[in-house]
Amino acid sequence: MKLDGKTALVTGGRGGIGRAIVSRFVKEGATVYAADLTPQGSLAEHDEDGSRFVKLDVTQESEVIDAMNRVKAEQGRLNILVNAAGIEIEKTIEDTTLDEWNQSFAVNATGTFLTSKYALPLLREAARSGTSASLINFGSYDGFIADPGLAAYCATKGAVHALTRAMACDHGPEGIRVNAICPGYIDTPMLQSFFNGGGSGGDGGTIETLQKAVRDVHPMRIYGTPEDIANLVNWLASDEARYASGQLWVLDGGLSAQVQQMKL
Amino acid sequence: MRLAGKRAFVTGGRQGIGRGIVDAFVTEGAQVMTCGRGARPADLPKAVGWFELDVSRDADVQRVCRVIGPVDTLVNNAGVQVEKTVVDSTDADWDLVMGVNARGVFNVCRAFIPQMTPVGSIINIGSISGKVADPSMALYNASKAFVHGLTRSIAVDHGPRIRCNAICPGWIETGMLEAGFDLAQDPEAARADAIARHATRRFGSPADVASMAVWLASDEAGFATGQLFTIDGGMTAASPLNPGLF
Repeated sequence: MKLDGKTALVTGGRGGIGRAIVSRFVKEGATVYAADLTPQGSLAEHDEDGSRFVKLDVTQESEVIDAMNRVKAEQGRLNILVNAAGIEIEKTIEDTTLDEWNQSFAVNATGTFLTSKYALPLLREAARSGTSASLINFGSYDGFIADPGLAAYCATKGAVHALTRAMACDHGPEGIRVNAICPGYIDTPMLQSFFNGGGSGGDGGTIETLQKAVRDVHPMRIYGTPEDIANLVNWLASDEARYASGQLWVLDGGLSAQVQQMKL
Repeated sequence: MRLAGKRAFVTGGRQGIGRGIVDAFVTEGAQVMTCGRGARPADLPKAVGWFELDVSRDADVQRVCRVIGPVDTLVNNAGVQVEKTVVDSTDADWDLVMGVNARGVFNVCRAFIPQMTPVGSIINIGSISGKVADPSMALYNASKAFVHGLTRSIAVDHGPRIRCNAICPGWIETGMLEAGFDLAQDPEAARADAIARHATRRFGSPADVASMAVWLASDEAGFATGQLFTIDGGMTAASPLNPGLF
Protein backbone atom coordinates (compact mmCIF):
# COMPACT_ATOMS: atom_id res chain seq x y z
CA MET A 1 0.00 0.00 0.00
CA LYS A 2 1.40 3.28 -1.14
CA LEU A 3 0.39 5.51 1.76
CA ASP A 4 1.04 3.26 4.75
CA GLY A 5 1.74 5.25 7.88
CA LYS A 6 0.83 8.58 6.32
CA THR A 7 -1.73 11.05 7.59
CA ALA A 8 -3.88 12.98 5.13
CA LEU A 9 -6.49 15.72 5.30
CA VAL A 10 -8.82 16.25 2.35
CA THR A 11 -11.04 19.33 2.20
CA GLY A 12 -14.31 18.88 0.36
CA GLY A 13 -13.73 15.30 1.53
CA ARG A 14 -17.38 14.35 1.30
CA GLY A 15 -17.93 15.90 -2.12
CA GLY A 16 -17.71 14.29 -5.54
CA ILE A 17 -13.97 14.26 -6.13
CA GLY A 18 -12.93 14.59 -2.49
CA ARG A 19 -14.89 11.50 -1.49
CA ALA A 20 -13.08 9.39 -4.08
CA ILE A 21 -9.72 10.69 -2.86
CA VAL A 22 -10.57 9.93 0.78
CA SER A 23 -11.69 6.44 -0.08
CA ARG A 24 -8.55 5.78 -2.13
CA PHE A 25 -6.25 7.13 0.58
CA VAL A 26 -7.92 4.85 3.15
CA LYS A 27 -7.47 1.89 0.82
CA GLU A 28 -3.78 2.77 0.44
CA GLY A 29 -3.26 2.63 4.18
CA ALA A 30 -3.38 6.28 5.20
CA THR A 31 -5.08 7.78 8.22
CA VAL A 32 -7.52 10.16 6.56
CA TYR A 33 -9.42 13.20 7.78
CA ALA A 34 -12.35 14.07 5.52
CA ALA A 35 -13.13 17.74 6.05
CA ASP A 36 -16.41 19.14 4.79
CA LEU A 37 -19.33 21.37 5.73
CA THR A 38 -21.51 18.36 6.60
CA PRO A 39 -20.93 14.61 6.87
CA GLN A 40 -22.92 14.15 3.66
CA GLY A 41 -21.18 16.86 1.68
CA SER A 42 -22.61 17.39 -1.77
CA LEU A 43 -23.76 13.77 -2.04
CA ALA A 44 -27.18 12.64 -0.89
CA GLU A 45 -25.77 9.69 0.98
CA HIS A 46 -22.48 8.80 2.50
CA ASP A 47 -21.07 5.35 3.10
CA GLU A 48 -18.79 4.64 6.00
CA ASP A 49 -15.39 4.83 4.37
CA GLY A 50 -13.01 4.52 7.30
CA SER A 51 -12.16 8.21 7.37
CA ARG A 52 -12.43 10.62 10.28
CA PHE A 53 -14.91 13.41 9.64
CA VAL A 54 -13.89 16.98 10.42
CA LYS A 55 -16.55 19.66 10.21
CA LEU A 56 -14.84 22.45 8.36
CA ASP A 57 -15.78 25.58 6.48
CA VAL A 58 -12.50 26.42 4.75
CA THR A 59 -13.39 30.11 4.62
CA GLN A 60 -13.37 30.36 8.44
CA GLU A 61 -9.89 30.84 9.86
CA SER A 62 -10.85 29.67 13.35
CA GLU A 63 -12.34 26.42 12.01
CA VAL A 64 -9.22 25.77 9.96
CA ILE A 65 -7.04 26.33 13.04
CA ASP A 66 -9.25 23.96 15.06
CA ALA A 67 -9.04 21.28 12.38
CA MET A 68 -5.26 21.44 12.22
CA ASN A 69 -5.02 21.47 16.03
CA ARG A 70 -7.03 18.26 16.10
CA VAL A 71 -4.71 16.61 13.56
CA LYS A 72 -1.72 17.81 15.55
CA ALA A 73 -3.12 16.46 18.81
CA GLU A 74 -4.01 13.08 17.32
CA GLN A 75 -1.15 12.55 14.85
CA GLY A 76 1.54 15.12 15.57
CA ARG A 77 2.07 15.75 11.87
CA LEU A 78 0.40 15.80 8.44
CA ASN A 79 1.90 14.17 5.35
CA ILE A 80 -0.75 15.04 2.80
CA LEU A 81 -3.08 18.01 2.41
CA VAL A 82 -5.57 17.95 -0.46
CA ASN A 83 -7.48 21.18 -1.10
CA ALA A 84 -10.48 19.80 -2.97
CA ALA A 85 -13.20 22.07 -1.55
CA GLY A 86 -14.61 24.29 -4.26
CA ILE A 87 -17.71 26.02 -5.54
CA GLU A 88 -18.81 27.23 -8.94
CA ILE A 89 -20.96 30.23 -9.85
CA GLU A 90 -22.34 29.90 -13.37
CA LYS A 91 -22.43 33.49 -14.56
CA THR A 92 -20.62 36.06 -16.64
CA ILE A 93 -18.95 38.85 -14.65
CA GLU A 94 -21.74 41.22 -15.54
CA ASP A 95 -24.31 38.95 -13.91
CA THR A 96 -22.09 38.00 -10.95
CA THR A 97 -22.84 39.91 -7.75
CA LEU A 98 -20.03 41.11 -5.52
CA ASP A 99 -21.18 38.61 -2.90
CA GLU A 100 -20.96 35.74 -5.39
CA TRP A 101 -17.53 36.89 -6.53
CA ASN A 102 -16.31 37.13 -2.92
CA GLN A 103 -17.82 33.76 -2.05
CA SER A 104 -16.08 32.13 -5.04
CA PHE A 105 -12.72 33.50 -3.97
CA ALA A 106 -13.43 32.78 -0.29
CA VAL A 107 -13.86 29.05 -0.90
CA ASN A 108 -11.62 28.36 -3.90
CA ALA A 109 -8.71 30.72 -3.30
CA THR A 110 -8.83 31.91 0.33
CA GLY A 111 -9.83 28.43 1.52
CA THR A 112 -6.77 26.98 -0.21
CA PHE A 113 -4.65 29.71 1.37
CA LEU A 114 -6.01 29.18 4.89
CA THR A 115 -5.77 25.39 5.02
CA SER A 116 -2.30 25.51 3.47
CA LYS A 117 -1.16 28.21 5.87
CA TYR A 118 -2.19 26.29 8.98
CA ALA A 119 -1.19 22.88 7.62
CA LEU A 120 2.35 23.98 6.80
CA PRO A 121 3.77 23.54 10.32
CA LEU A 122 2.36 19.99 10.36
CA LEU A 123 3.62 19.25 6.85
CA ARG A 124 7.05 20.62 7.85
CA GLU A 125 6.99 18.31 10.87
CA ALA A 126 6.34 15.34 8.57
CA ALA A 127 9.15 16.36 6.25
CA ARG A 128 11.53 16.86 9.19
CA SER A 129 10.78 13.45 10.60
CA GLY A 130 11.84 11.87 7.33
CA THR A 131 8.43 10.99 5.91
CA SER A 132 7.36 12.96 2.87
CA ALA A 133 5.03 15.94 2.73
CA SER A 134 2.79 16.61 -0.25
CA LEU A 135 0.29 19.42 -0.72
CA ILE A 136 -2.18 19.03 -3.58
CA ASN A 137 -4.39 21.88 -4.72
CA PHE A 138 -7.35 21.80 -7.07
CA GLY A 139 -6.94 23.99 -10.10
CA SER A 140 -8.92 23.35 -13.25
CA TYR A 141 -8.50 23.26 -16.98
CA ASP A 142 -10.71 26.33 -16.70
CA GLY A 143 -7.69 28.07 -15.20
CA PHE A 144 -6.07 27.80 -18.64
CA ILE A 145 -8.97 28.20 -21.07
CA ALA A 146 -12.45 29.54 -20.44
CA ASP A 147 -15.80 27.82 -20.37
CA PRO A 148 -18.55 30.31 -21.15
CA GLY A 149 -20.47 31.75 -18.21
CA LEU A 150 -18.01 30.68 -15.51
CA ALA A 151 -15.98 33.85 -15.14
CA ALA A 152 -15.41 33.97 -11.38
CA TYR A 153 -14.69 30.24 -11.26
CA CYS A 154 -12.09 30.53 -14.04
CA ALA A 155 -10.44 33.40 -12.19
CA THR A 156 -10.28 31.55 -8.85
CA LYS A 157 -8.65 28.57 -10.54
CA GLY A 158 -6.07 30.80 -12.21
CA ALA A 159 -5.30 32.10 -8.72
CA VAL A 160 -4.86 28.56 -7.41
CA HIS A 161 -2.43 27.77 -10.24
CA ALA A 162 -0.24 30.73 -9.40
CA LEU A 163 -0.45 29.99 -5.66
CA THR A 164 0.63 26.41 -6.34
CA ARG A 165 3.82 27.50 -8.06
CA ALA A 166 4.51 30.11 -5.38
CA MET A 167 4.12 27.60 -2.54
CA ALA A 168 6.26 25.02 -4.36
CA CYS A 169 8.94 27.65 -4.67
CA ASP A 170 8.75 28.80 -1.04
CA HIS A 171 8.39 25.45 0.69
CA GLY A 172 10.35 23.09 -1.55
CA PRO A 173 13.51 23.72 0.50
CA GLU A 174 11.60 22.46 3.55
CA GLY A 175 10.85 19.17 1.85
CA ILE A 176 7.24 19.99 0.99
CA ARG A 177 6.05 19.25 -2.53
CA VAL A 178 3.19 21.37 -3.91
CA ASN A 179 1.22 20.47 -7.03
CA ALA A 180 -2.19 21.18 -8.51
CA ILE A 181 -4.55 18.84 -10.31
CA CYS A 182 -6.48 20.51 -13.14
CA PRO A 183 -9.51 18.35 -13.89
CA GLY A 184 -11.61 18.72 -16.98
CA TYR A 185 -15.15 17.36 -17.07
CA ILE A 186 -15.56 14.94 -14.17
CA ASP A 187 -18.84 13.28 -13.33
CA THR A 188 -19.62 14.95 -10.00
CA PRO A 189 -22.61 16.67 -8.39
CA MET A 190 -21.02 19.96 -9.54
CA LEU A 191 -21.03 18.82 -13.18
CA GLN A 192 -24.59 17.49 -12.98
CA SER A 193 -25.74 20.78 -11.50
CA PHE A 194 -23.97 22.56 -14.37
CA PHE A 195 -25.84 20.41 -16.87
CA ASN A 196 -29.17 20.82 -15.11
CA GLY A 197 -28.80 24.50 -14.42
CA GLY A 198 -27.27 26.05 -17.50
CA GLY A 199 -27.76 23.28 -20.02
CA SER A 200 -30.25 24.00 -22.76
CA GLY A 201 -29.86 20.52 -24.15
CA GLY A 202 -28.11 22.12 -27.13
CA ASP A 203 -30.11 22.47 -30.33
CA GLY A 204 -33.30 21.94 -28.29
CA GLY A 205 -32.32 18.42 -27.23
CA THR A 206 -32.51 16.72 -23.82
CA ILE A 207 -30.07 16.56 -20.95
CA GLU A 208 -28.98 13.17 -22.31
CA THR A 209 -28.18 14.56 -25.76
CA LEU A 210 -26.32 17.41 -24.08
CA GLN A 211 -24.24 14.97 -22.03
CA LYS A 212 -23.52 12.89 -25.11
CA ALA A 213 -22.50 15.98 -27.04
CA VAL A 214 -20.09 16.95 -24.25
CA ARG A 215 -18.62 13.45 -24.12
CA ASP A 216 -18.17 13.42 -27.89
CA VAL A 217 -16.01 16.54 -27.80
CA HIS A 218 -13.46 14.59 -25.74
CA PRO A 219 -10.84 12.58 -27.65
CA MET A 220 -11.56 9.73 -25.20
CA ARG A 221 -15.34 10.16 -25.82
CA ILE A 222 -16.01 10.06 -22.07
CA TYR A 223 -15.81 12.43 -19.19
CA GLY A 224 -13.84 11.42 -16.18
CA THR A 225 -14.83 9.87 -12.89
CA PRO A 226 -13.75 11.04 -9.45
CA GLU A 227 -11.74 7.82 -9.27
CA ASP A 228 -9.70 8.94 -12.31
CA ILE A 229 -8.72 12.04 -10.35
CA ALA A 230 -8.04 10.02 -7.20
CA ASN A 231 -5.57 7.87 -9.18
CA LEU A 232 -3.37 10.87 -9.92
CA VAL A 233 -3.83 12.43 -6.47
CA ASN A 234 -2.74 9.13 -4.95
CA TRP A 235 0.43 9.14 -7.03
CA LEU A 236 1.23 12.75 -6.18
CA ALA A 237 0.67 12.00 -2.50
CA SER A 238 2.97 8.99 -2.58
CA ASP A 239 6.74 8.82 -2.35
CA GLU A 240 6.89 7.72 -6.00
CA ALA A 241 6.24 11.36 -6.85
CA ARG A 242 9.21 12.59 -4.76
CA TYR A 243 10.57 14.71 -7.64
CA ALA A 244 7.18 16.13 -8.72
CA SER A 245 6.60 19.66 -7.51
CA GLY A 246 5.35 23.02 -8.73
CA GLN A 247 3.37 21.51 -11.59
CA LEU A 248 -0.17 21.83 -12.86
CA TRP A 249 -1.40 18.36 -13.80
CA VAL A 250 -4.17 18.51 -16.37
CA LEU A 251 -6.43 15.43 -16.36
CA ASP A 252 -9.20 16.00 -18.89
CA GLY A 253 -9.41 13.07 -21.31
CA GLY A 254 -7.48 15.12 -23.87
CA LEU A 255 -10.11 17.87 -24.04
CA SER A 256 -7.70 20.78 -23.87
CA ALA A 257 -5.11 19.15 -26.13
CA GLN A 258 -7.20 19.92 -29.16
CA VAL A 259 -8.22 22.92 -31.15
CA GLN A 260 -11.96 23.59 -31.11
CA GLN A 261 -13.75 20.86 -33.01
CA MET A 262 -15.20 22.39 -36.13
CA LYS A 263 -18.22 20.66 -37.67
CA LEU A 264 -16.62 19.91 -41.03
CA MET B 1 6.12 54.65 -41.81
CA ARG B 2 7.24 52.33 -39.06
CA LEU B 3 9.67 50.23 -41.11
CA ALA B 4 11.33 52.97 -43.15
CA GLY B 5 14.94 52.13 -43.98
CA LYS B 6 14.59 48.44 -43.07
CA ARG B 7 15.40 45.57 -45.44
CA ALA B 8 13.17 42.54 -45.03
CA PHE B 9 13.08 39.03 -46.44
CA VAL B 10 9.75 37.19 -46.23
CA THR B 11 9.57 33.54 -47.28
CA GLY B 12 6.42 32.25 -48.98
CA GLY B 13 5.16 35.65 -50.14
CA ARG B 14 3.14 34.49 -53.11
CA GLN B 15 -0.24 34.39 -51.37
CA GLY B 16 -2.15 34.24 -48.10
CA ILE B 17 -0.44 35.35 -44.90
CA GLY B 18 2.98 35.77 -46.54
CA ARG B 19 1.60 38.09 -49.16
CA GLY B 20 -0.26 40.05 -46.48
CA ILE B 21 3.03 40.56 -44.64
CA VAL B 22 4.83 41.61 -47.83
CA ASP B 23 2.13 44.20 -48.60
CA ALA B 24 2.10 45.56 -45.03
CA PHE B 25 5.90 45.84 -44.94
CA VAL B 26 5.88 47.74 -48.25
CA THR B 27 3.19 50.09 -46.92
CA GLU B 28 5.32 50.76 -43.84
CA GLY B 29 8.31 51.74 -45.96
CA ALA B 30 10.47 48.62 -45.88
CA GLN B 31 12.50 47.33 -48.79
CA VAL B 32 11.02 43.85 -49.21
CA MET B 33 12.22 40.67 -50.85
CA THR B 34 10.22 37.50 -50.96
CA CYS B 35 10.38 34.03 -52.45
CA GLY B 36 8.38 31.00 -53.43
CA ARG B 37 8.45 27.89 -55.52
CA GLY B 38 7.83 28.94 -59.13
CA ALA B 39 7.78 32.12 -61.12
CA ARG B 40 7.18 35.63 -59.84
CA PRO B 41 3.47 36.32 -59.25
CA ALA B 42 2.15 38.78 -61.82
CA ASP B 43 0.48 41.02 -59.23
CA LEU B 44 3.51 41.41 -56.94
CA PRO B 45 4.42 45.13 -56.61
CA LYS B 46 7.42 46.03 -58.78
CA ALA B 47 9.46 47.27 -55.83
CA VAL B 48 9.38 43.84 -54.21
CA GLY B 49 12.24 41.50 -55.08
CA TRP B 50 11.29 37.91 -56.02
CA PHE B 51 13.43 34.81 -55.66
CA GLU B 52 12.45 31.40 -56.91
CA LEU B 53 13.30 29.29 -53.90
CA ASP B 54 12.35 26.08 -52.12
CA VAL B 55 13.41 26.75 -48.52
CA SER B 56 13.85 23.04 -47.86
CA ARG B 57 16.93 23.04 -50.16
CA ASP B 58 19.85 24.38 -48.17
CA ALA B 59 22.24 25.06 -51.07
CA ASP B 60 19.58 27.22 -52.75
CA VAL B 61 18.86 29.06 -49.49
CA GLN B 62 22.56 29.86 -49.10
CA ARG B 63 22.80 31.10 -52.68
CA VAL B 64 19.80 33.43 -52.27
CA CYS B 65 21.14 34.60 -48.92
CA ARG B 66 24.45 35.66 -50.54
CA VAL B 67 22.57 37.60 -53.22
CA ILE B 68 20.29 39.35 -50.74
CA GLY B 69 22.98 40.31 -48.24
CA PRO B 70 22.26 41.82 -44.79
CA VAL B 71 18.62 42.23 -43.72
CA ASP B 72 17.01 43.82 -40.67
CA THR B 73 13.94 41.61 -40.67
CA LEU B 74 13.46 37.98 -41.55
CA VAL B 75 10.00 36.38 -41.74
CA ASN B 76 9.81 32.61 -41.98
CA ASN B 77 6.33 32.16 -43.34
CA ALA B 78 6.69 29.49 -46.03
CA GLY B 79 4.74 26.42 -44.98
CA VAL B 80 2.82 23.42 -46.27
CA GLN B 81 0.24 21.16 -44.70
CA VAL B 82 -0.71 17.54 -45.21
CA GLU B 83 -3.98 16.45 -43.64
CA LYS B 84 -3.21 13.00 -42.25
CA THR B 85 -2.81 11.10 -38.99
CA VAL B 86 0.56 9.60 -38.03
CA VAL B 87 -0.45 6.17 -39.28
CA ASP B 88 -1.53 7.47 -42.69
CA SER B 89 1.53 9.68 -43.23
CA THR B 90 4.12 8.48 -45.73
CA ASP B 91 7.87 9.15 -45.82
CA ALA B 92 7.18 11.59 -48.65
CA ASP B 93 4.69 13.46 -46.42
CA TRP B 94 7.35 13.65 -43.69
CA ASP B 95 9.97 14.94 -46.12
CA LEU B 96 7.58 17.56 -47.50
CA VAL B 97 6.12 18.87 -44.22
CA MET B 98 9.25 18.68 -42.09
CA GLY B 99 11.39 19.75 -45.07
CA VAL B 100 9.56 23.03 -45.59
CA ASN B 101 8.10 23.84 -42.15
CA ALA B 102 10.97 22.70 -39.94
CA ARG B 103 14.12 22.27 -42.03
CA GLY B 104 13.20 25.33 -44.13
CA VAL B 105 13.04 27.62 -41.08
CA PHE B 106 16.33 26.16 -39.86
CA ASN B 107 17.99 26.61 -43.28
CA VAL B 108 16.92 30.23 -43.61
CA CYS B 109 17.79 31.17 -40.02
CA ARG B 110 21.21 29.50 -40.22
CA ALA B 111 22.04 31.28 -43.45
CA PHE B 112 20.72 34.76 -42.60
CA ILE B 113 21.48 35.19 -38.88
CA PRO B 114 25.25 35.79 -39.30
CA GLN B 115 24.64 38.62 -41.71
CA MET B 116 21.62 40.27 -40.09
CA THR B 117 21.92 43.90 -39.07
CA PRO B 118 21.71 44.32 -35.27
CA VAL B 119 19.23 44.50 -33.73
CA GLY B 120 17.61 42.18 -36.23
CA SER B 121 14.11 40.82 -35.87
CA ILE B 122 13.20 37.28 -36.89
CA ILE B 123 9.49 36.50 -37.08
CA ASN B 124 8.54 32.87 -37.49
CA ILE B 125 5.02 31.83 -38.38
CA GLY B 126 4.10 29.13 -35.90
CA SER B 127 0.50 28.09 -35.33
CA ILE B 128 -2.12 27.48 -32.68
CA SER B 129 -1.76 23.92 -33.99
CA GLY B 130 1.71 23.81 -32.45
CA LYS B 131 0.11 24.25 -29.02
CA VAL B 132 -3.13 22.30 -29.32
CA ALA B 133 -3.86 19.62 -31.89
CA ASP B 134 -5.88 20.00 -35.06
CA PRO B 135 -7.27 16.56 -35.89
CA SER B 136 -5.58 14.68 -38.77
CA MET B 137 -2.76 17.20 -39.04
CA ALA B 138 -0.12 15.24 -37.13
CA LEU B 139 3.03 16.23 -39.02
CA TYR B 140 1.87 19.82 -39.48
CA ASN B 141 1.14 20.20 -35.76
CA ALA B 142 4.53 18.72 -34.87
CA SER B 143 6.37 20.89 -37.39
CA LYS B 144 4.85 24.02 -35.86
CA ALA B 145 5.86 22.93 -32.36
CA PHE B 146 9.41 22.66 -33.79
CA VAL B 147 9.10 26.26 -34.97
CA HIS B 148 8.05 27.34 -31.47
CA GLY B 149 11.01 25.62 -29.85
CA LEU B 150 13.48 26.98 -32.42
CA THR B 151 12.06 30.48 -31.86
CA ARG B 152 12.95 30.39 -28.18
CA SER B 153 16.38 28.90 -28.88
CA ILE B 154 17.31 31.60 -31.38
CA ALA B 155 16.10 34.31 -28.99
CA VAL B 156 18.25 32.87 -26.19
CA ASP B 157 21.34 32.07 -28.28
CA HIS B 158 21.46 35.13 -30.53
CA GLY B 159 20.24 37.92 -28.27
CA PRO B 160 21.03 40.76 -27.94
CA ARG B 161 22.01 40.94 -31.63
CA ILE B 162 18.72 39.39 -32.70
CA ARG B 163 15.15 39.33 -31.43
CA CYS B 164 13.18 36.25 -32.42
CA ASN B 165 9.44 35.74 -31.95
CA ALA B 166 6.73 33.59 -33.44
CA ILE B 167 3.20 34.49 -34.45
CA CYS B 168 0.66 31.70 -33.99
CA PRO B 169 -2.26 32.37 -36.32
CA GLY B 170 -5.60 30.67 -35.86
CA TRP B 171 -8.14 30.40 -38.66
CA ILE B 172 -7.20 32.95 -41.29
CA GLU B 173 -9.23 33.60 -44.44
CA THR B 174 -7.03 32.15 -47.14
CA GLY B 175 -7.66 29.80 -50.01
CA MET B 176 -6.72 26.93 -47.68
CA LEU B 177 -9.60 27.72 -45.30
CA GLU B 178 -12.19 28.03 -48.06
CA ALA B 179 -11.12 24.69 -49.50
CA GLY B 180 -11.74 23.13 -46.07
CA PHE B 181 -15.31 24.43 -45.91
CA ASP B 182 -16.03 23.31 -49.45
CA LEU B 183 -15.40 19.74 -48.29
CA ALA B 184 -17.99 19.99 -45.46
CA GLN B 185 -21.37 18.30 -45.82
CA ASP B 186 -23.06 21.65 -45.34
CA PRO B 187 -20.43 24.33 -46.06
CA GLU B 188 -22.63 27.20 -44.90
CA ALA B 189 -23.48 25.57 -41.55
CA ALA B 190 -19.83 24.60 -41.05
CA ARG B 191 -18.78 28.18 -41.62
CA ALA B 192 -21.41 29.54 -39.18
CA ASP B 193 -20.41 27.00 -36.54
CA ALA B 194 -16.73 27.83 -36.89
CA ILE B 195 -17.37 31.56 -36.66
CA ALA B 196 -19.43 31.04 -33.47
CA ARG B 197 -16.29 29.59 -31.86
CA HIS B 198 -14.45 32.88 -32.28
CA ALA B 199 -14.92 35.61 -29.66
CA THR B 200 -14.50 38.09 -32.54
CA ARG B 201 -17.27 36.35 -34.51
CA ARG B 202 -15.12 36.45 -37.62
CA PHE B 203 -12.06 34.68 -39.00
CA GLY B 204 -8.75 36.45 -39.28
CA SER B 205 -7.39 38.04 -42.41
CA PRO B 206 -3.78 37.99 -43.61
CA ALA B 207 -3.74 41.68 -42.65
CA ASP B 208 -4.46 40.76 -38.98
CA VAL B 209 -1.33 38.60 -38.89
CA ALA B 210 0.64 41.17 -40.88
CA SER B 211 -0.12 43.94 -38.39
CA MET B 212 1.48 41.90 -35.61
CA ALA B 213 4.43 41.16 -37.92
CA VAL B 214 4.87 44.89 -38.55
CA TRP B 215 4.94 45.57 -34.83
CA LEU B 216 7.44 42.78 -34.18
CA ALA B 217 9.63 44.05 -37.02
CA SER B 218 9.50 47.62 -35.74
CA ASP B 219 11.67 49.18 -33.07
CA GLU B 220 8.57 49.50 -30.87
CA ALA B 221 9.00 45.79 -30.13
CA GLY B 222 12.56 46.28 -28.86
CA PHE B 223 11.94 44.31 -25.65
CA ALA B 224 9.89 41.52 -27.22
CA THR B 225 11.83 38.34 -27.83
CA GLY B 226 11.45 34.59 -27.36
CA GLN B 227 7.69 34.73 -27.31
CA LEU B 228 4.77 33.13 -29.12
CA PHE B 229 2.04 35.62 -30.02
CA THR B 230 -1.32 34.03 -30.77
CA ILE B 231 -3.65 35.85 -33.20
CA ASP B 232 -6.78 33.72 -33.39
CA GLY B 233 -9.79 35.89 -32.56
CA GLY B 234 -9.95 34.33 -29.09
CA MET B 235 -10.61 30.81 -30.31
CA THR B 236 -8.03 28.97 -28.19
CA ALA B 237 -8.87 31.04 -25.11
CA ALA B 238 -12.17 29.17 -25.00
CA SER B 239 -12.86 25.58 -24.14
CA PRO B 240 -13.22 23.25 -27.17
CA LEU B 241 -16.81 22.56 -26.13
CA ASN B 242 -19.40 23.73 -28.60
CA PRO B 243 -20.58 27.15 -27.45
CA GLY B 244 -24.10 26.30 -28.59
CA LEU B 245 -24.35 23.58 -25.95
CA PHE B 246 -24.84 25.93 -22.99
